[in-house]
Amino acid sequence: MPKLSLMFDNKVVKEVPVGGRAVTIGRAPDNDLYVDNLAVSNYHAKIYFEAGRMVVEDLDSLNGTFVNDLRIERATLHDGDKVHIGKHVIKVDTSGDAPVPWESGRKTAAPRINETMVLDTKERREMLQQAAAMGESMQFASSRMKVPTLMVLGGKTDQKEYVLTNKLTVIGKSMMATVKLKGWFKPQMAAQINQRDDGYYLGPGDKVPTVNGNAIGGPIRLHDGDVIEVSGVKLNFIFRE
Amino acid sequence: MRIVSGGVTDVGRVRTNNEDSFRIVQPLNLYVLADGMGGEAHGEIASALAVETVVQHCMDEEANPAARVLGPVQAGWSARTKRLSTAVHLANKKICKSAEEHPEQKGMGATLTSAWIDGAKLSIAHVGDSRAYLLRGGTLLQLTRDHSLVAEQVRRGMITAAQAEESEMQSVLLRALGAQPEIEVDAEEHVLFPRDVLLLCSDGLTRVVTEPEIAGLLQAESDAVRGAEKLVALANERGGPDNITVVVVRVLKDSGRWLSWLRRGARKDLGNNGNTGGK
Repeated sequence: MPKLSLMFDNKVVKEVPVGGRAVTIGRAPDNDLYVDNLAVSNYHAKIYFEAGRMVVEDLDSLNGTFVNDLRIERATLHDGDKVHIGKHVIKVDTSGDAPVPWESGRKTAAPRINETMVLDTKERREMLQQAAAMGESMQFASSRMKVPTLMVLGGKTDQKEYVLTNKLTVIGKSMMATVKLKGWFKPQMAAQINQRDDGYYLGPGDKVPTVNGNAIGGPIRLHDGDVIEVSGVKLNFIFRE
Repeated sequence: MRIVSGGVTDVGRVRTNNEDSFRIVQPLNLYVLADGMGGEAHGEIASALAVETVVQHCMDEEANPAARVLGPVQAGWSARTKRLSTAVHLANKKICKSAEEHPEQKGMGATLTSAWIDGAKLSIAHVGDSRAYLLRGGTLLQLTRDHSLVAEQVRRGMITAAQAEESEMQSVLLRALGAQPEIEVDAEEHVLFPRDVLLLCSDGLTRVVTEPEIAGLLQAESDAVRGAEKLVALANERGGPDNITVVVVRVLKDSGRWLSWLRRGARKDLGNNGNTGGK
C-alpha cells in the first residue's frame, strides 16, 4: 500500500498509508500528519488518490507546498518524490497497490472459493462499531449542506444554474438531459456528470469536455470551482454552502 | 427506444452447482438476477424463489395494480419503482417463510439485483453484492452499492479498494434476502439514453474481471447475447471461481432500426429479441 513518511532532520517522524480518503497535513492536531511548526498552516495540504494517481494539493497555505523544490498548488506525485512543508519533508512511496484506479486496470483478487455469509445485526454492529464514530463524523463533515451546483457562465441553456440532485446528470440537447443545450448542431448527449462514493466525476459523451482548459482523457473528479466547457457552453462547478 | 437484451448463467470452473438465477421478461423489459447462498441445494432454492417472486409481482401489475406497497418509499418514485421495490421485500418474506417451514433450509439467502425499463425510465431495486452497471459514453458506472462488509469499510475510509479486493472478508454480506424478516431495499430511478448499456451481474464476474475490461468488451461487442457470453467466457478463463451470471441490456435508437436492418440484414437473433439462456 502506498505510504507517506514525514521526515525531520533526515529522520522518519511518522508514517501513514494513503488509502481511500485524503491524508491531511497541517498544524491543527486533527490532521493525519500533524506538524507542530509555525511555518506550517493549520490545514496546509492534502494528499489523496485520484484516478489511480497520487495527488498533492496545497490548501492555500501561507508558506506554500513544494514538490522537489518547486512550489505547487496541485501536482501529481511519483515514487520517491519529496514534498516540502516548512522544514519538514514528506517522502512519497507509491510502491504499494493504488486504491480505486478507475481508468487504469483494477487488480483482481486471486480466485478463491468461499461461501458467502451474512452478518446478523449484532455481529454487524460490533464489526462496524469501532469505525462508526469516525465514519459518521466524516460523513457529517462532508455533507454539511454542500450542494453541488453548475452555474452557467456562457452559452445557451434552458436555465442559469442547475443543482445536481441525481446520481447521473447529462449535458446535451436531449429532452431528457438535465442541462439542456439550445441551438443547432448541439449533440444529444455532450457530456455527463456522475456521482460516485468519493465525489462527482465528469465524463465524455458525444464530445470531450475540457476542465479548466484541459481536455479530459476519461472520467475525472470535479473540484470546487472547476470550469467545464463543452459544445459552446461554459459551466462553473461549485459546492454551495 | 428499442431494447435488446441477452443473459447467460454459468456454473464456473470450480463449483459443482449453480446457485445463481436470472430471468428476462422481454414484454415488460424486466431483468432480475439473484445469487443464492446456503448449504446443499438451498442457495439454488433461495435465488430461484427470489427471482420468481419479483417477476410474479411485477407481472401482476396489470391484474392487481393496487397491491400494497412494502417498505419505505421516496417522494417522486414512479409506480414501477414502488412495485419493484415492493417485489424485493416480498421475495425476502418468501425466503424467510420457506426457511421457517423447512428447517433444513435455515440460513439460506440470496442477493437480488433487478431493473425495470419503462420508456426512458429505468427503475433499479437491489439487495446484496450483485451489481447493476450503466455504460454510457464509454464510462462504466456502478449504479448499485455492494452491501458487503468490505464495501462498507471502503466507504467509511477504513480500508482501500485495493485492500478490499485482497480481503478475506469479501464474501461477508451486510444485507441479503432471507437474512432478516425485514430488510432495507435500495431503489432508485434513472433516465436512459439511446446507446446506453445496462449490465446486471453476479460477483462471479466482478471478482475476476475488472471494470475497464467490462467497459471495453461491452463497447467492442454490440450484440447483447454475445456480449454476455464473452463476459462469462472471460470470467471462466480467469478460473471461474464462482457461478457467473451476466445480463446485458442495450438501448437502441428507434430510427436506427431500418438502417441497421439494411446494413446487417435481418439477423436471426432478432427473432426472439436477442434472448438466450434464462431459467
